[in-house]
Amino acid sequence: MNTHGLPDPLRRAIAGDLRPVEPLPLLWKRALGVAIVAVAVSAAVLASRALRPDLVVLSPWVGWGAAILEGLAGLLVIGLALRESVPGQALSRRTIGLAIGIGIAMNLIIVVATRIDVAPGVALWGPLTRGMMCSRHEVMFAFPAFLVTVYLVVRAFPLRPQVVGLLGGLGAGLAGDGINHLLCPVSSLYHVLVWHTGAMVVLMLFGWCGGELWMLIRDRKEEE
Amino acid sequence: MTELDADQQRLVELMIGYQNGNMADFNDLYSTLQAPLTRYLWTFVRNASAVEDLLQTTFLQLHRARRTYIPPRPVKPWMYAIARHVALMHLRSHRRRREVTADETLPDIPIPPAAEKLGDRKMVRRLLLELPRPAQEVLVLHHMLGLSFVEIGHVMGISSGAAKVRAHRALKTIRARIGEPGA
Repeated sequence: MNTHGLPDPLRRAIAGDLRPVEPLPLLWKRALGVAIVAVAVSAAVLASRALRPDLVVLSPWVGWGAAILEGLAGLLVIGLALRESVPGQALSRRTIGLAIGIGIAMNLIIVVATRIDVAPGVALWGPLTRGMMCSRHEVMFAFPAFLVTVYLVVRAFPLRPQVVGLLGGLGAGLAGDGINHLLCPVSSLYHVLVWHTGAMVVLMLFGWCGGELWMLIRDRKEEE
Repeated sequence: MTELDADQQRLVELMIGYQNGNMADFNDLYSTLQAPLTRYLWTFVRNASAVEDLLQTTFLQLHRARRTYIPPRPVKPWMYAIARHVALMHLRSHRRRREVTADETLPDIPIPPAAEKLGDRKMVRRLLLELPRPAQEVLVLHHMLGLSFVEIGHVMGISSGAAKVRAHRALKTIRARIGEPGA
């Protein structure tokens, strides 16, 4: 023991790795990084793919407005995930529940709102093929934002990585669905619930399981 | 500036110095935080040597996570959240290995002033230790370690309202048990 009561092994461990560190950027700066990637992906996707043919029938508020709103909600949820990844900034169960509830409800409300306005008779190639393509697109559009979120989370110190993963998956899923909303012409409730909302739920579960796995590995390492 | 503000400000300055690689600031942080962290860890583990180990592990984790402290935010919620994580991890791993940590004679751990004035010190300590762990945690964090209910919410992942309700119910339970015959 030294004069401060600091045990020698601890003092040696700390002194051996005392390089100066830069504190994490503020939450809004970290979230901005994700937003830039999400906007870049959206712009690239929308520039390279045909928009849904019935988009002209929808009012701009319902068509573009809903997509932007969903994208913003996704970024907000990612912001919550980034906040949760810093010790001492834990979200309450109520906030987590609200984020999940509002995220999924927003997805459904947008479906219902656009369904009312959509002109019927959009040609389908077969519900399964179309559905799988939509899910694939949704995950593809969501993945860059998800990866940036994971990178930022890994650089922090999440104490509940499964919660962070769940929110990260939901946020990225919402952002991906916002883009998909402008491309997918099928707005039947069945199609959206199974293939769009389903893809979002899969991303959430993927995030949750990834977090659980991370926690298990970390626990094992600590035990060793 | 109140004493509490000055105390918090000092912790923030020490943390900034520590992040800049100053060992003397870490030493000061250790001597300032050792006692409150030990008290907090007692709410999870009732074994002196386990608490000592957990304290060292907590400081190692604080060291690993030091870049996640963002000045000038209060240091305490950040620090107690990491200590809580270390303690819960310890409990989880012991559950997994089905190990039971034997209780030792409890040291003379301090009790919250709000509970102390309810009755005989020894009895209050026993009743406090009989409370469910989350209730003990809230009482200790608020009444002894000076965290606000909002900060407790950020440490424990609950709303500030829920923290307030837990503290109120915990004190009410102690009061009721003191009133009980044979308490």
